[in-house]
Amino acid sequence: MKKVLSFVLIALIALGGTSLGEKQTRIVFWHSATGDAGELLGRYVDEFNVGPGAQLGVYVEAVYQGSYSDSASKLQSLLSAENEEDLPDVMQLDATGKVRYLSAKSAYTLDEALIDHPDEDTGDFLAPALENWRLNGVQLGLPFATSTTLTYYNASVLDEAPDSLYDLMYIADEYELEDGVCVYACVPNTPTLANWLGQMGSRLVNGNNGSEQNATELDCLEDGSLLRFLEIWKELYASGALVSRASSNDEFIAGKQLVMTASSSMISTLDERIGGAFELGVSPYLRVSPDDGYGATVSGSCLVMFKHDDERSEAAWEFVKYMTSDLVQAGFAMGTGYIPSRVSAVKTDLWQDFIREAPEYNVGFEQLMLTPEGMRSVTVGPAADFYYTIQDVFTSMLEEDTSPEEALETLEEELNGLLTQYARANP
Amino acid sequence: MVAAGVFAKKRFCIKPYLFVLPMLLFAVVFVYYPFFRTFLNGFSLVNAQGRLLRYTGLDNFRYLFGRREFASALGNTLMLTTVNVPVTVVLSLTLAVIAAKKRTLSPLYETLFSLPMAVSMATAALIWKTMFNPTVGIVNRLLGTELGWFESRDTALGTLLTLTVWMGVGFNFLVFLSALRGISPDTVGAAQVDGAGRFQVFWHIRLPAIAPSVVYVASSNAVLALMTSGPVMIITQGGPSRATSTLIYMMYTSGYASGNDSLAACVSLVTFALTFAFTFLLLFLERDKVRGL
Amino acid sequence: MKLIKSALWQLTALCAGLILVFPLIYAVFGAFKTPAEFGAWPPSLLPDSFGNLENFKAVFKQIPMLRYMLNSLITSLITGTVKTLLSCLAAYGFAYYDFRGKKALFFLILAAMMLPADTLILTNYRTVTRLGLIDTYLGICVVSFVGASQLLLLRGELCRLPASLWDAAKMDGCGDLRYLAFILMPMERGILLTLFLQAFVAQWNSYLWPLLVTTRMDMRTVQVGISMLTSAENTNYETVLAGSAAALVPSLILFFVSRKSFTGADASGAEVE
Repeated sequence: MKKVLSFVLIALIALGGTSLGEKQTRIVFWHSATGDAGELLGRYVDEFNVGPGAQLGVYVEAVYQGSYSDSASKLQSLLSAENEEDLPDVMQLDATGKVRYLSAKSAYTLDEALIDHPDEDTGDFLAPALENWRLNGVQLGLPFATSTTLTYYNASVLDEAPDSLYDLMYIADEYELEDGVCVYACVPNTPTLANWLGQMGSRLVNGNNGSEQNATELDCLEDGSLLRFLEIWKELYASGALVSRASSNDEFIAGKQLVMTASSSMISTLDERIGGAFELGVSPYLRVSPDDGYGATVSGSCLVMFKHDDERSEAAWEFVKYMTSDLVQAGFAMGTGYIPSRVSAVKTDLWQDFIREAPEYNVGFEQLMLTPEGMRSVTVGPAADFYYTIQDVFTSMLEEDTSPEEALETLEEELNGLLTQYARANP
Repeated sequence: MVAAGVFAKKRFCIKPYLFVLPMLLFAVVFVYYPFFRTFLNGFSLVNAQGRLLRYTGLDNFRYLFGRREFASALGNTLMLTTVNVPVTVVLSLTLAVIAAKKRTLSPLYETLFSLPMAVSMATAALIWKTMFNPTVGIVNRLLGTELGWFESRDTALGTLLTLTVWMGVGFNFLVFLSALRGISPDTVGAAQVDGAGRFQVFWHIRLPAIAPSVVYVASSNAVLALMTSGPVMIITQGGPSRATSTLIYMMYTSGYASGNDSLAACVSLVTFALTFAFTFLLLFLERDKVRGL
Repeated sequence: MKLIKSALWQLTALCAGLILVFPLIYAVFGAFKTPAEFGAWPPSLLPDSFGNLENFKAVFKQIPMLRYMLNSLITSLITGTVKTLLSCLAAYGFAYYDFRGKKALFFLILAAMMLPADTLILTNYRTVTRLGLIDTYLGICVVSFVGASQLLLLRGELCRLPASLWDAAKMDGCGDLRYLAFILMPMERGILLTLFLQAFVAQWNSYLWPLLVTTRMDMRTVQVGISMLTSAENTNYETVLAGSAAALVPSLILFFVSRKSFTGADASGAEVE
């Protein structure tokens, strides 16, 4: 037993010794990028560390923190324990983390960073991308991995790109599908539902989807848009075009699902994994009906900062600037399918030559331009519960065959309940 | 129950307290204090920083019981528990009966039967996730099916159940094996002389003799099954549409990840209550069974 | 006839065993397959060659596996040691002394068994983070130090020892700690080793708590680390299997080392958390 103890002590001391830092400023960067994006992100962090970072005496330690929601959970738990010391300096944040970030005392928002660096401005960033990271009038951070939801389709089977949900019904009617092949699979969640409601000119929750002020209730009841969507969704299911399960890359790649709606950031991965087995088609996000508009908000993630001390926040700022610079943005977009977040990045020859060769990489950018100005992604306090409740109710409506009116009632009760409960505990 | 010490020392002495203190300290800080806080939080309004704002009586419970999510989490947890326990007991016991008599190859298949206990939950979950993947997984290929085992609401919970049963089989097999081998050969021999068949011997002699082990396996598995959360986090994230959400998983997502301590505390308390209920039920059943035989 | 019957019986048992461990065989073989082999039809169990180490290279490139294993080893050693020592001390106090409130304290500790640790994580997380133990080995272990069932078992063992032993030691002027460390612990080493190994294995396999209290890559344990090989959008299953297979190696070693202590005479009374 004694031996064991002394071994433990020695090991502890040895490990403690190795993690003592050198003189440079070390900052921690939490990210959630995997696959191609993860590899590229790693490369840019390395490039920063040997290039500009080395000159400035800054070293960035990149930590993969699981999915965006895992990472945001970690943020939440540190905040609730009032332990902000263990927060990173820079964090890759998606829409579900916005409220939490803003509630952090050590949040070093972009607004504050711009006061500290008056010679910098954000005019070069694509407006929809930048504004997606504005909450209650505060600019949280800079867009890093900007994407939007697109429609992917199997162009070897389908003659043309599906344009609206009604086209899916048409496909189900007209095409002879092989056994085990379905047209479309989807379970609506917060962002996909909000996009479809947005196309009808409506919002899921008040406060412009919670982006301008805290959402307190659903905002798509009185104009009938949610009910209308539920009805169309049910009709789609009844037509046989829709399978009620989460859209799966694996199924689409295997040729067992003809149409898929997913993030534009998947293009490179899909290309790679389909490997020429069929022709990949990319088109704007499905419209609800030919009478509704096009559009899907920006998704993806931004980089936000936390302030620990002046030296580290300065280092964090340099790193964020590097990661959002035009060349990094263009390169990152080319390797993944994300949209370059800056006008100057879009204008680079690098990017322009690239999209001439691979026009599918430009669909996302074009869609952002089609999306109505002012359409914002959803920000609510109980983000995870919101997301799963929507999925749950939509699935139940189809599988337990309840009416759209009943589903509407359940959504109203559950979602408004979540918002009320959250507001009660966090006034 | 508690026997007096070997040596009774009558005068007050600080020393014995010092021996007991370290463990007591950890029990108080990491078991009793959190339990007390959970209790308090369950009946109060707590903000995202974990501060108690005010006492609210049963409001939190009323809210919790009205949530759809809770209904599915509770249903799934009960389903996992009530199916897992009997299946695990029967399966491990069958394996133990097969292996009970020592034969040439005994060491080999004893090792095989107990091997699942060597595998950690995270590893097992990853293997399951791969095996049951609809396109690349081996299960669909072997069965010639095209099911999305973890993706469909009809099969997800059942597939998860196969994992939780598999994880428990190894250890429980060993418990039963050592219990079966511990039965005195005389008792069994006497019955055989009386002309009892193999099945009768098992039912009337062996099974009652290992009843305590059965109860131990059943109750420890019931508690483990009630706590199921790891595989859910790794494989399904509670989906599809909450078909695999469990109470502890709900506590993690709605509590830890959403900063809603009151709700998390209520879920915890419900889980406590279930744990007690299952444990007592099993103890009660055992007493009945032992007396009845 | 009897021989054939026995042979058949054993063959059946062997087949059942192989079916039971099939997932492990699948994982280990799959770890050596190339993506093409993995997706091939008809599927084969064996890889073309065990020389294909690409998947393992991918794992070690994605995550610092050896560091994770070291972390798991250290935390498991700490938990095993501290938990066993605390139980020893407490069992000694309860077995050899009478003191006011003894019964109450004994039950207080035993009742802790009834409160499942998973339901207490939220408050414990706050406590641990307030103590500044996030991303430390102690933080990963500290909630598993209370071993009520260990205490129960050890106290029973100590009460069974002849009283004359303690008497004689006291006569020789042997202090409590010396008696505990040099007489009792060596005498009970079998059971202590069992308890140590059980605590070790439980810590090695734990997932939820280490996930919560670590935010740094170099503090993660194996269980947390390998679960990060999958992501919702894009999972490379050969890599996942290679990671699982690599994580299996220490687990299997542990299994063969500790198996004896689980199958020991008291297996039915022992408890694994």
